[in-house]
Amino acid sequence: MYLKSFSRTLARIGTRALVMASPLLLAGCDLNFWRMDGHQSTIDVAGPVARSQRDLFYITCDVTFVIFIIVASVLAYATFKFRARTEADAHAEPPPQGHGNPLVEIGLIAGSVFALVIIAIPTLKAIWYTYDVPEAEKANAYEVTATASQWWFKFEYPKEQINGVGPLTTGNELVIPAGRPVRIQLRTADVIHSFWVPKLAGKVDMIPNRGNAIWMEADQPGYFWGQCAEYCGDSHAVMRFRVIALNEKDFAAWLSAQKEPARVVAAVAAGSPQAKAQFASYKINEYGFTPKWDPGASVTPLENWQQQQFPNKDENPALIAQGRKLFQEKTCIGCHTVRGHEGVGITGPNLTHVGARTTIAAGLLENTPDQLARWLRHPNQVKPGNKMYNGGYIDPKTGKANFTLTEEDITALVAYLSSLK
Amino acid sequence: MDATVKSHFIGKEEKSAPRPRLLYRPTAKTGLMSWLTTVDHKRIGFLYGIFALFFFLVGGVEALLIRLQLMVPNNTVLTAEQYNMMFTMHGTTMIFLAVMPLSAAFFNYIMPLQIGARDVAFPRLNAFSLWTFVVGAIIINLGWFMKDGPPDAGWTGYSPLTSRLYNPDHSIDMWVMGLQLLGVASIAASLNFIVTIINLRAPGMTMMRLPVFTWMTLVTAFLIVLSFPAITIALVEVMMDRLFGANFFEVSNGGMPILWQHLFWVFGHPEVYILILPAMGIISEILPTFSRKPLYGYPIVVFSGACIGFLGFTVWSHHMFTTGMGTVATAAFSLATMAIAVPTGVKIFNWIGTLWGGHIQMRTPMLFALGFIWMFMIGGFSGVMHSAAPADAQQQDSYFVIAHFHYVLIGGSIFALLAGIQYWFPLMFGRMVSEFWGKLSFWVIFVGFNVTFFPMHFLGLNGMPRRTFTYDSNLGWNTPNFIATIGALILGVGIGIYFGVMIYTYFKGEKVGQDPWDGRTLEWSIHNPPHEYNFKVVPTVHARDAWWYEKHHKEEIAKEAAEHAKAEAAHGGIHMPFASIWPFVTSFGILIGAIGVSVLDHDPRPGFWGTKIAVSLLGGVVMFLGAYLWALEGNEGYHLHLEEEDGHGSAPAAKH
Repeated sequence: MYLKSFSRTLARIGTRALVMASPLLLAGCDLNFWRMDGHQSTIDVAGPVARSQRDLFYITCDVTFVIFIIVASVLAYATFKFRARTEADAHAEPPPQGHGNPLVEIGLIAGSVFALVIIAIPTLKAIWYTYDVPEAEKANAYEVTATASQWWFKFEYPKEQINGVGPLTTGNELVIPAGRPVRIQLRTADVIHSFWVPKLAGKVDMIPNRGNAIWMEADQPGYFWGQCAEYCGDSHAVMRFRVIALNEKDFAAWLSAQKEPARVVAAVAAGSPQAKAQFASYKINEYGFTPKWDPGASVTPLENWQQQQFPNKDENPALIAQGRKLFQEKTCIGCHTVRGHEGVGITGPNLTHVGARTTIAAGLLENTPDQLARWLRHPNQVKPGNKMYNGGYIDPKTGKANFTLTEEDITALVAYLSSLK
Repeated sequence: MDATVKSHFIGKEEKSAPRPRLLYRPTAKTGLMSWLTTVDHKRIGFLYGIFALFFFLVGGVEALLIRLQLMVPNNTVLTAEQYNMMFTMHGTTMIFLAVMPLSAAFFNYIMPLQIGARDVAFPRLNAFSLWTFVVGAIIINLGWFMKDGPPDAGWTGYSPLTSRLYNPDHSIDMWVMGLQLLGVASIAASLNFIVTIINLRAPGMTMMRLPVFTWMTLVTAFLIVLSFPAITIALVEVMMDRLFGANFFEVSNGGMPILWQHLFWVFGHPEVYILILPAMGIISEILPTFSRKPLYGYPIVVFSGACIGFLGFTVWSHHMFTTGMGTVATAAFSLATMAIAVPTGVKIFNWIGTLWGGHIQMRTPMLFALGFIWMFMIGGFSGVMHSAAPADAQQQDSYFVIAHFHYVLIGGSIFALLAGIQYWFPLMFGRMVSEFWGKLSFWVIFVGFNVTFFPMHFLGLNGMPRRTFTYDSNLGWNTPNFIATIGALILGVGIGIYFGVMIYTYFKGEKVGQDPWDGRTLEWSIHNPPHEYNFKVVPTVHARDAWWYEKHHKEEIAKEAAEHAKAEAAHGGIHMPFASIWPFVTSFGILIGAIGVSVLDHDPRPGFWGTKIAVSLLGGVVMFLGAYLWALEGNEGYHLHLEEEDGHGSAPAAKH
């Protein structure tokens, strides 16, 4: 542990030097990036698997850092000390033409081997630890199946069977119990993807014809960012997801809510539900989130997720009913399941409770009416190559539109989808 | 002017029967035909270098576009598709079309000079390797000029992303065919180098007296010959899947995509040593020259190079730690990967040992060489971090890996190759790069490189995956990405200065005489720029640093050289191989065939003579014709007779 504190001290000195130099480097720029405390940090971890991986990384860091300091000092010293400083030096008689010293060589080889053994032992331990849930906790482990497609994730809960339908299915937001190991079966429907929630565990690939699994555990309830980590085609960069860890009671409540069929908002007498919603303007191809997603916001991402579970305040039943009709007419139901409603397709994510999710388009956009409208309006700009557009909106072979959505249609569809809590 | 007389191969009669017109040997010494028909290893090396540097700049432009796209979050410089093409082509170009051929340029140009040979063992095969490499490069890059676009499945081309289902256009066909041809070129060239090093060494040049660069050429050539077959098989399988409906990687019919990864990395890991070992060889030449003492621990450096080459075949699955290989396999590859750090470390120790007690002269090549050691050390240490498999589960496919392999490939390979260009430039062209501009280019490149790639370590640890065309602004990745892009622009300026100065020096640089660096190995014993025949008299080698020994035993060597010159004259003079057009014709046939197979559409109409088949067959016919006539014209050569009083410097005139 002496090594660790030594390297930490040096790191601190380095950090301070950087901080002092920062105004000179980039005035006004956020130079705190070496803290590595982002949403997808592998350093600022939140579970035992990621922690064991990080601690192993620290060991490799410390060992290589010490060797680096030694070798680099010798190299710097040799370069400086034996440098020819003058013309005369450069053209002096050549130095002794020595060819080496076997004892020094063997000593250095032995030293390197010893340093590697320091790394090898914890490596072997961590390989076995991270591979599967420890024997003692196996019985307690919660099982989930994750299936990747271009470019989204399906999550199934094999223990939560719904009569006549199969396991509870959700998309792009995985809810797990906190403080309990979760074993996730990894499958893919097309190409190779990789399941990565940096704060909880390192990645494991989802490979066709191969049954991989990963285990992870969240220490505390929380909201975690994940992303596909294996290049999988056009929209690989925007194939993201979230993991929400809940305490035992909340998790049970969430499960029972999810098992309910899709919500129906009671209809009122038909009035004039056509009022156009005023959506905030947006720029094409501009992704991203409102400030409440940024670190340091007043609402934590988990609190935000909890709020998302409640029905919206001023729902317009007529508009929602119209949206439900459009969902059917515009063939959305062919790809999306809305359990209890008309949707039955399984090509796209299950939308039974899509309104209760915090993100849409596979963790890409915040689930707000304007982002939802934008996603429906320009799917191929938000997520190039996606099947909702290529095959849904248009026929990819001919390039002709299968259907068009007017602004009114979008308003109604947004109302419907938002009501699916 | 009549100093030289053409004569036939030893053992042949002077006046042989007239040859059919088709088999006349080309004799042009200047002009386009002389370049197309050349079998001179120096000219071929030069061409390799020119093509490699061209593609190095192309790959660099692709890199800059990638960095511009990632400069700020949610940027729109490139679309997703364009970005994916860029990183695929950046990787493919830099590895196969820039670093490998640049190493091949040095193998061709320098290695025969270092062992005291007048050419490689199979001069026409060497020309064939060059032209086939060019054909492969053309095929890979054709997509830029077609509606299909260049390939976009990553340079690793992981199946099933390369299948017809997910990539229906021809871009992948071209990528597969192009890589296949580059493999042909590399294997042919490597066999040539192996035979050359084994058979064409000057008298007294024992294996343990070979310059380290030649040793690394040999090890690299063996790595190429042994590793390329793996990717050849894998590429044939992809081709069969795509063109003929085979099921090697077709999941729905029980194919195993993981097989591609194994085959690819069985090739791919030795490949990274194919990229770095020549660089280590160059460094092992430059450090002794500018320290004015022999390489420290020569046998151990050579042995560790061979050891790296051997271990390189045992660690491929460390690229696959996240594929769920199971605990035992992961542990085995983890430990094997750590083991490779030992011979690599040994090299660094020995380079420092070489500096120790020397008279270090800080010339430009030496700066690049020292920069290499520093950067390679950092890249090596992050490599050790990857070898710990569980830690790698977080780092794999993140920007941490990007940082690692750019530290070993730019900070390693490219720095060494740039050092090599500076170092051997006076030998090749008789002109020396100005110290000021050379050093300036080094410092700009060095700073730009570190500003670009050091922040990527932080990006990776902060969870940024590679191959992503965009990212959100709330993940703490903005600043490092911005800094990296600034660094990339600085790096681009540095490379611009470097090549600007090179071009200037080529035309207007300061002329220097023989051996300007006070070199140690045989290539410095000859006139610069070198004559076609390299050595007036084949040297006899008495020590490891052969030229250093010659310089310190001048009388002994002069006497010996005179005797050998007489003996050589008695044998008919300097034997030179004839030039030939047929290697070029053969490669040209391959180009036509490759376009037929990989670029043209299937003719939807039934019938044998569809355009695709017709063009493919035409290419095949031209190729076989070329190879046949190549065989028929024979491996003859001619003799040069230098004038008795001809000094070291003047070129002989050839007469036909």
